[in-house]
Amino acid sequence: MNPLVAISIGLREISAHKFRTCLSMLGIVLGVSSLIATMALTRGIEDGTRKFMQQMGGLEFVSIVNKEPSSKKFEFANLSPGRTLRDAEALKQSANFLSHVSPEIFLSTAVATDGGGNPDRRMVRGVYPDHFVIGMHQIRAGRFLTPLDLERGSRSAVLGDSVAKQLWPDTPAELAVGKTILIDSRPFVVVGVLALYEMEAQARARKSGRSVSRRYDPFRQKNETVLIPFNTMFHELRSGAFPLDSLDTMKLETLTVRVDDLDHFQPALDQIRSILDITHRGVDDYDLETRQDWFDRMESSVRAARLSGGLISAISLVVGGIGIMNIMLASISERVREIGIRLAVGARQRDIFWQILIESVLVSFLGGLLGILASLGLIEILKSISPTENIPVLTLDAIFLAVGFAIAAGLFSGLYPAAKASSIDPITALRYE
Amino acid sequence: MSLIHLEDLSKVYRVGDQEIRALDQIDLRIEEGEFLSIIGSSGSGKSTLMHLLGCLDTPTSGRMEICGKDLAKASGDELAGVRNREIGFVFQAFNLLPKLDVVSNIALPLVYAGVPHAERLVRAKKAAADVGLGERLSNRPPQLSGGQCQRVAIARALVNNPRILFADEPTGNLDSATGRMILEMFDALHAAGKTIVLVTHDPAIAAHSRRVIEIRDGRITREYNP
Repeated sequence: MNPLVAISIGLREISAHKFRTCLSMLGIVLGVSSLIATMALTRGIEDGTRKFMQQMGGLEFVSIVNKEPSSKKFEFANLSPGRTLRDAEALKQSANFLSHVSPEIFLSTAVATDGGGNPDRRMVRGVYPDHFVIGMHQIRAGRFLTPLDLERGSRSAVLGDSVAKQLWPDTPAELAVGKTILIDSRPFVVVGVLALYEMEAQARARKSGRSVSRRYDPFRQKNETVLIPFNTMFHELRSGAFPLDSLDTMKLETLTVRVDDLDHFQPALDQIRSILDITHRGVDDYDLETRQDWFDRMESSVRAARLSGGLISAISLVVGGIGIMNIMLASISERVREIGIRLAVGARQRDIFWQILIESVLVSFLGGLLGILASLGLIEILKSISPTENIPVLTLDAIFLAVGFAIAAGLFSGLYPAAKASSIDPITALRYE
Repeated sequence: MSLIHLEDLSKVYRVGDQEIRALDQIDLRIEEGEFLSIIGSSGSGKSTLMHLLGCLDTPTSGRMEICGKDLAKASGDELAGVRNREIGFVFQAFNLLPKLDVVSNIALPLVYAGVPHAERLVRAKKAAADVGLGERLSNRPPQLSGGQCQRVAIARALVNNPRILFADEPTGNLDSATGRMILEMFDALHAAGKTIVLVTHDPAIAAHSRRVIEIRDGRITREYNP
């Protein structure tokens, strides 16, 4: 039998029972639309993450982080001074594959303008000049901290864009340079203001005058930063809090380095390890965290999201398939006599088999098409509630995949009814009332 | 060589422990162009014989040759092929598909014969005209009278130009005038050379044929020419 004939018979069957068929399609519609929407959503998150990673900067950065020493070194753990400025200096002097070394210490303290006003508690960071490169900063006005600032322990400060705006709402960044602010009641001169960091979508929104989404801002911390020279922080602000610290023993909050060339990334890591093994006296209480690890983690969380979304959709596709099987079985028991007549005029068992199977696939395929339409609506809703960076992206392969799964569901759920229909005995069927 | 040749043909059903011999060692030859009636009361085995002859069922034992093919042990596909090309059925209950219009009902066997759509239409229309159904071709069976339905069924039975026409109580659901018209149609087909096998319980209807076989308890008990 010509498959086109089977398709036209199937379409007639479907149009004869529109409501019933639509109900049985519902599972497939939900499955397909949720599958497409999930894929669009995770794709959006993926795109957003990628873009963010690009903006956050390159693979050449390596963070030295604390970790629990392994159990066999546990007894010697006290021998290690931990992650100190000495590490930074040692790396700076001995690791020739590193172009920048940036140790940081933090202090959460009050910042106010010299004009008084309410002081704001802010995170103030003591940094090296290398932080300019490591932090991927851009200067909007003035200058960044210099080696001279570090050496002299000068009372200079570089402000993030948001901080400058909050302290002097009506003053352009250029005029903020040279003003004095009070950090923990000590006067600091603002020597520079950083550029405003934002995602593309935020920039677009700001330029077109729309309100900027505040739900998720990866650059918030960067925009609200107050940077002062490391030594100034230590002598002026931290020594009071931790009087026993010396520059050598004080624990760092972060230590980040930049490898000068990705070509010798691995040797650079080895270099870092061999130097830190000396400064930490052989205690493995540190770990090297590369951006690659970080990116891999993001990727794997995106994958996990996609997998769980896919799983949920797969379940609803299976449920949809069962719905179709149900309706096909009902349809067959209604059509026993019809099947008998078709057999009597010369239909072979396999003609009946294919006809039922094709009908089942047709139902699931139409369900898939409706599912695509539904997914368009679903994605619009998701677009309106998801952060601008992670706008869901509808891809063609998502559509093909979902419809492919729908057809497969129809195929599998049609097999049993088709086998059942084709095994009907013509004599019994012709007598069937 | 006979068109239909049955030898020692038996059909046994098992119901629980009981064996029911629906057909018991039937020998029968039907020649090309014959108009034959099979009569018998209900439960006599005539329907079983009809189903075997119509290739809707296979015998338990014996030989069954139809149109030169040994069909006693034939596969389902072979039987379907014979039903499609060599045999036309007319049933008491018409057995038309209520969802299809007249033309599509008549063309149904051609669908399974693999005839292309356009040719199906032409041949179905011609078959409809042959049984006097020139109009109402786009109507569906529920909109037709019983006589018209049976004529559609006859047109369907003939559309693939089979060698044998089986009719199972073809007038059972019709009033006597319409029934007579259908039987006259069979006469005309017989005159045109078609082999016709009529199954009925009514000797008056069987009298239309040239040869009558009476079945009782699965055996041929009498054979006569009216």
